[in-house]
Parts: sequence; C-alpha cells; structure tokens
Amino acid sequence: METRKNILTEPIVDIQNVCIRYGKDPEVLSDIKLTLEKGSFHFLTGKSGAGKTSLLSMMYLALKPSRGTVMVFGTNVGYASRDAMAGLRRRIGVVFQDFRLLEHLSAYDNVAVPLRIKGMGENEIKKRVKELLSWVELDKSMDKICSTLSGGEKQRVAIARAVINRPEILLADEPTGNVDNDIASKLMKLFVELNKLGTTVVIATHSKDLIAEYNYPQIHLENKGLKIIPALRRI
Amino acid sequence: MKAKIQIARHAELPLNEDKANFFLQISTAISVFLFSIALAAYFMTSSMISSWNKNIVDGLTVQIMPPAETLSEEEELLRTNKVISFFEGLDGVLKVRKVSNEQIQHLMAPWLGKNADIESLPMPKLLDVRLKDGKTFDFEKASDSLKEFAPYASIDNHGLWLKKLIKSAGSLKILSLFVLALVLGATVFSLFYAVETSLKVHQNIVEILHVMGATDSYIAKQYAIRALKVGFVSSLIGIGLGFLALFVISHLSSGLETGLIGAASLNRFHWIFLFSLPIWCALLSMGMSFFGVKQVLRKMM
Ligand SMILES: Nc1ncnc2c1ncn2[C@@H]1O[C@H](COP(=O)(O)OP(=O)(O)OP(=O)(O)O)[C@@H](O)[C@H]1O
Ligand SMILES: [Mg+2]
Repeated sequence: METRKNILTEPIVDIQNVCIRYGKDPEVLSDIKLTLEKGSFHFLTGKSGAGKTSLLSMMYLALKPSRGTVMVFGTNVGYASRDAMAGLRRRIGVVFQDFRLLEHLSAYDNVAVPLRIKGMGENEIKKRVKELLSWVELDKSMDKICSTLSGGEKQRVAIARAVINRPEILLADEPTGNVDNDIASKLMKLFVELNKLGTTVVIATHSKDLIAEYNYPQIHLENKGLKIIPALRRI
Repeated sequence: MKAKIQIARHAELPLNEDKANFFLQISTAISVFLFSIALAAYFMTSSMISSWNKNIVDGLTVQIMPPAETLSEEEELLRTNKVISFFEGLDGVLKVRKVSNEQIQHLMAPWLGKNADIESLPMPKLLDVRLKDGKTFDFEKASDSLKEFAPYASIDNHGLWLKKLIKSAGSLKILSLFVLALVLGATVFSLFYAVETSLKVHQNIVEILHVMGATDSYIAKQYAIRALKVGFVSSLIGIGLGFLALFVISHLSSGLETGLIGAASLNRFHWIFLFSLPIWCALLSMGMSFFGVKQVLRKMM
C-alpha cells in the first residue's frame, strides 16, 4: 500500500541531467531535465533529427543515457536488474516510428505478444485481441501475415500491440503518420480515452494540426535542449 | 489442455526455419553416434577388466618340477611342503592347495586320454594359490624370491601376462573416456555456437520482445523447447546408427577369441544407459540452450 502512495505522489518518469549520444558522435541531447506526472498527456515536438525518437527510446528503456539518472515508476533504471527492467517495460506501451512488427507473424499474433509475455491464457487473449483489432477496423486482416499489410494497417497493428496490455505509460512515435484523417482521429480518441483511465501519454509528432486540435502541452526539443510549451488556450 | 499446446506453438522466434537448425541436427546426430560407440567401448573395457581381475588374477598356479632322480615319498613330500610354506608365509596369500592327481588327470585328459596313469609319469605337481587381491599382489617379486628359495618350483606366469593385458585394456578405457569428453565438449561448444548465431540472426525480434517486456528466460524458453525436440530426434538417429555399428562389430568379432572378448559383454545397466542416451541428450541440449541464451543475451544487449 505504501508503494502505491509513493507512485501517486512521485513523478512517473523523472529524467535528471541526462545526456544522450551515440558512440563518439556529438551529443544529441545535452543535460536535459524532464518530469512526467502520472496521468499527464504531452506531445513531443522538434525538427527531424532533434532527438524525439532517442528520448522516447530512453524512456522505454532501450537506450541508456551517456550521463545522468533516469527514474521510471520510481526505479532508478541505471541500477535495475535485467528482470526488473523487463518488469518495468511490461508496464510501458510503445508505438515505434517504423512499427517494428514481427513481420513473419499474423496481425493477431503480433497484438497477442504482450499478453503472452505476461502469461495470460489463450482464451482471454483471444477475446481481448479480437475486440481491439475490430475496434481499429482490422478484423478482416487479423490472420494476415504482417509483411503483407499496408502501411496504415501496420500502424494500427502497432498501436493495438502497444495498448492491449493497458499500459501505465504510452510512448508513441508518429502514430498517425500513415493513416487517413478519419482513422487518425479515431486513434487519437483511443489515446485520449486511455489517458482518462490514467495512462501517461507522450506522442511524438510533426503534425501542427494535431497539436492545434488537442489542447495538450508540448515537450519541445531544440538545440540539444528541452523546453515545455504549455497547452494552447483555446478561445 | 488446448491452451497448453498453444503456448508451445506460439513461439515468436521462427527457430524452425533457421539454417543453423539443419547444422545442429546433423552435428547432434554425429555426436551421439560417436558418443554411443565410445560409451560402449568404455563399458566393454570396464567389464572386461573387472571380469579378468575377478576370475583369474586372484589366483596363481605353481608348478613343482619332478626331481631328476627318484626320491622317497617323504623326501618328495618335504620338497612340496617347502614350497607350500613359502607361499603361506607370503603377504596377500589367502590359501594354498595342492591340486590332486585326479584333477591333473582331468586337466590332461585331452592330451593323455582318460585312463592315463599319472603316477607313473614324470608329471609336475601343481599348487593352487588363492590371493586376497591379485591386483595388488606383486607377482614379479614372488617369482624372484621363489627362484632362490626353491629353484625347482615356478609360478605359472599367466598372472604377469594378464596384468599386461589389463594394463593395455586400461589405456583403451582411458582413451574411450577421452573420446567421450571430447565429443561432449564439441557438442556443448556447437550448441553454444548455434545459439549465439541464431540470436544474432534474430536480434531484431529479440529486441522487440525485450521492449515488450520479455525476460531473458522467456526468450531462452523458446530456444530450450526447440533444442529439446531437435536433441531428441537427432540423437535417436545417432544412436540408431551407433547400435548398427555395434551390431556389425560384435558380429565380426564373434568368431575371434571368445575367451577374451566374451568378457567384453554389456550388462543390463549398460544397455539401459545406452538406450536412454536420446533422453540425456535432449535434456542436455535443452539445458545448454536455455543457459546459453541467457549468457549470450547478457553479453549482447
Ligand atoms: N542508432 C543510432 N546511431 C547513431 N546515431 C543515431 C542513432 N539513432 C539516431 N541517431 C542520430 O541521433 C540524432 C537524433 O535522431 P532521432 O531519431 O532521435 O531524431 P528524431 O527527432 O526522432 O527525428 P525524426 O523526426 O526524423 O524521426 C540524429 O542526428 C540521428 O542521426
Ligand atoms: Mg524519430
């Protein structure tokens, strides 16, 4: 019970004095600070190459910072064991910019992966996956192998896979880049609903329309630094 | 019931399509083939050595040559008793027994006929000496001191001869142990190498699974299940070929000196162990793969 109380008061992501660099290249992000409260919703913006994907990969624990501390769910990931890291990752949903689906598997099996990793029974998995896939209008493509799907279909599979396990943090990299406007707004509605249920959401995007339409603050990356642009006040 | 079968089927890693898979199957089959033959050789030499040790070496025979000129019965008895007391005084001797004339007659029957009059022939007298432990008894030393004490008596040297035979069988046994260790080492190495190669090939999938929150064990389990199947099937093939080879060898040698090879038979325990090799192999490759994957993942990412 005590830990639960802590989670409520502590930020869900706490990044302090972090630098990111690849090998000997110059730093991509330099000495940044970022704290995300539980249940917050942010857009992540910045020019191409500004480091949006890099920042997100650090938050889904695939990239280690070259300096500084990263706390996720109150755990310092620099000192977490491999199994503890896996446990943290199970609570985070990720939509990759390039989808990163398991191309040799069906749409159904891709979406089922997080639940199978969790050890859920196949009957329950079937119920949940079918429901979500028909919600993203993929019920007809459920058994198709992913390598045969279109870009927009792949994107929806990727999003379904990210949210199937009702993650506490959802990190989405350009999640509406490949779909038409109708589906894009439907997907955004999904993210907003999840956020209302308590999921902390960060969405990287280039879309000015999206930012204008939804009244959320931005994490803006520029010149290796980070600043928060508050939500636009709508008239 | 259905769910359980599905868990095994729903492996995200397409390991059955691996090119390394075929290599692994062949190398496992060959390893098990070599292993079964080396193991059979080990069992055979072991049982050969122990049966020689048990049946022949814990005893020795002493010949007392007949005297050049006729002696009185008493003198003859004295001569024999001197040798008996020599052996009774030796360390490691359990019992000394004269071989009776009837027994000698029985032994000589093939050459002399059943009704030969042993008494009238200048036959050597024989003593049967039982030893506590032939393996530790120093035949050479006993033979030398007997020569000084009673030059007319001599140790039948089959103990010496057998010791040499046991020695060479012993080196055969060590050789087969060496081959066993070599095959085992090569198998473990190639399993590990196959796991490492496969993980590199599927690095992309492994990374995705990691991001989804899969533990190393989750990934290792998929390898372990595959290794269990491959290990079992391939070693069945390997042991099939091994038995074929053993059968051919034993047929070819059955016409040879049965006295020596006869001791080289396999007992029930040996057969059970040989037949259960596929199970051991499957379990070994399962365990090796599981821990191999965890090891490689820890180093790789
Ligand atoms: N794996 C990598 N190895 C080396 N350099 C990398 C790697 N990934 C990204 N970079 C570099 O880091 C910088 C930031 O890249 P990142 O992908 O984070 O940008 P981004 O903001 O996501 O861009 P975009 O909007 O085009 O997706 C770029 O200069 C890129 O070249
Ligand atoms: Mg990017």
